[in-house]
Amino acid sequence: MSARFGLSSALLGALLLAAASAHAAEPLASHQPYLQASLGVRMSKVSDAGFDAFADSDELTQVSLGLGGTLLRFQRFSLAAVGFWDYGARSSTARGSATDLDVHRLTIGPELRYHLLPPLYFFVNALPAFAHSSASLDDGVAEVTRYARHWSYGVDVAGGAAVELYAAPGENRFRPRLWAIAEGGYGYLGSTSLEMKPDAGQGPQRPAAVDLGSLSLAGPYLRVSAAVGF
Amino acid sequence: MPAYGLTGSVAVLDASLGRVTMLSSPSPFALSSQSIGLGKALTAARVSADRKTLFALSRGVQPQRTPNDERPQLLLIDGGSSPKVSRSYSLTEPMEQLVLDPQNEWAVVYGGDGVVVNLNELVLVNLAQTGADALSSKTLLSFGGSPRRFTFTAPLAVPGGEPRRFLLVERDADLVLIDLGAPDRDAVTVPLPKTDNGGTASPAQVVYDADSASLAVRVTGSTSVLLLQLAAPTSDGEDYSVVPNLVDVGGQPAAIDFVHNSQGLRLVALVGSSAVLVDPETATTQSVQMPAAFTGIRRITAELNPVTDGDVALLYGANVTKIAYFNLSGAPGALFRSIESSEIGVSVKNVIDVPGETFFDRKLLETPNQQFYVLDLHTRESAPMKTNGALSLEVAPDGERVWAYNPGQVGFASVDFATLHPVSLIAERRVSNVFDIEGGSGQRTAIALHLGGDLNSGIGATVLDALAPSTAYARFYSGLELGGVK
Repeated sequence: MSARFGLSSALLGALLLAAASAHAAEPLASHQPYLQASLGVRMSKVSDAGFDAFADSDELTQVSLGLGGTLLRFQRFSLAAVGFWDYGARSSTARGSATDLDVHRLTIGPELRYHLLPPLYFFVNALPAFAHSSASLDDGVAEVTRYARHWSYGVDVAGGAAVELYAAPGENRFRPRLWAIAEGGYGYLGSTSLEMKPDAGQGPQRPAAVDLGSLSLAGPYLRVSAAVGF
Repeated sequence: MPAYGLTGSVAVLDASLGRVTMLSSPSPFALSSQSIGLGKALTAARVSADRKTLFALSRGVQPQRTPNDERPQLLLIDGGSSPKVSRSYSLTEPMEQLVLDPQNEWAVVYGGDGVVVNLNELVLVNLAQTGADALSSKTLLSFGGSPRRFTFTAPLAVPGGEPRRFLLVERDADLVLIDLGAPDRDAVTVPLPKTDNGGTASPAQVVYDADSASLAVRVTGSTSVLLLQLAAPTSDGEDYSVVPNLVDVGGQPAAIDFVHNSQGLRLVALVGSSAVLVDPETATTQSVQMPAAFTGIRRITAELNPVTDGDVALLYGANVTKIAYFNLSGAPGALFRSIESSEIGVSVKNVIDVPGETFFDRKLLETPNQQFYVLDLHTRESAPMKTNGALSLEVAPDGERVWAYNPGQVGFASVDFATLHPVSLIAERRVSNVFDIEGGSGQRTAIALHLGGDLNSGIGATVLDALAPSTAYARFYSGLELGGVK
């Protein structure tokens, strides 16, 4: 976990630095945010059969934290670097045995924005994705919890729109503005094995893996967020 | 979850999903699971006597709403190291009872829970055939009774025809003979004699002698034994005739069997502390005093491979602490040669045969308490084996060893017949069953099953080398019930 958060911090730091550089090169229009931090919900539809052991429906809902910084602007267009950390979990039972799935997803990459109106812009992005999944199975016979923990890689491609809901009063160009953002797209992730094994030293001696097949978390998604921009 | 040991696999019934999980061992210490659908609403499952096939009877979709609804069926699953469905028979009506022929030539299905059920309707399945041709529906002539037990005979040398097998159906108050050589012909119903006090007698035991085509029926509440001689037909339209003879053996017998002594074929009836020998031809009886009131008899002539002219029988009982060897050979005209008894200190509730060609002369004496005996019929040594709990025995199909375990406990053991050396093992989880199968590479593999209860339907197993069992090398498998759950 600490390694993952360390990676997140480094990437976000790079975003901030890039945004600051862009600001120095060319001032943005009044509604084009230099920096934007968002909190939202990402809802994915995972149709892979491997997901069925951990959920009784295909939906994976994750809390989503985002950070973006504008790098370049040209008239109504701007290019930003954005990144998201999404976290969600599902649980279910498989033949009476409890199952859990925890998913962390980190995406970072470029986002192209077009301001149709000052308080409204549309965007598209293509974000390389890194996901860590931890699947667990309470094995009642072995009396141990089995795990399958893996990293997987892919890309999120999405488009969406942002609407400015509120701007703090005043003439300060960097006054805070509140945005509502909605985006939809497709998130691809490679498959990972669901060979469930107990942690070392746990359970019976020489336990064989319980093979539940493979899991791919790829699927269409929708993210809605509230963001604060400067 | 009922489990069955087959020659090369273990079958665990998963009724809630209508399937069986077949466990096999492709290589040493390896275990693979495969799920095979059994059809909807499983009603009965049996393993063939040779342990090569699992029979599963299912009701299918009831009531049927569309032509495509699954029909009742009898499914045969090959229980080798690569389990697969070998055959299925579609039935017209759902049945609930399944009886298998020890020689794997026939199966019988009967009974049901329909709006109207004919309790005397049997469906005979000729396992040598496939499809609808294999099925013969037969309704037994009834006087109010229904089938209780079935006996498939060896080929009986009925005069006037080729030796042929019979299916003997014990019902409430009669015995039905079905000629399996011509199952479509009318069955013969033989009423049983009344009890000694005039009541209705029920069959308690049926035995036969193939060479003489003789049958004997022990009935409840009677001091008489019904002898039936299958003879040449006496009228047109008959394939054979049945000549009954009622013989009083002087008391209510606890067990009967046919034997040969130097005088010829005799029926032995164990009556109190006596063995009454009945000449089936003349119905004359001779009584022999026994050292105890034995209630069980098992012919062991074939196991001893003697060069004598008479049978040897092992006598035992659930209420006596002795066993006896009843040697019926002897000088011409002699009734028997000897009775040798041994005090073993415990009663015997069952005698278990050992298959194979190496230790076929051993018998396992199962007792009501925590002991069993390994009996060497040649040396007549009986080796007591004491266990520390209730006892279940599983003889390896190769006949080389027996596994003893106490369901629900972690301990189990193997006893090698060559050395009689027990190897005690402690599993890491509670053991439900122990089976000994042949692996895919020819190795012998022991599988100790760990089955969950009703709330936890888990299937786990500890896999060991059956020839050198040791938990230091065993592998543990679980989650086997999840195969196919995606």
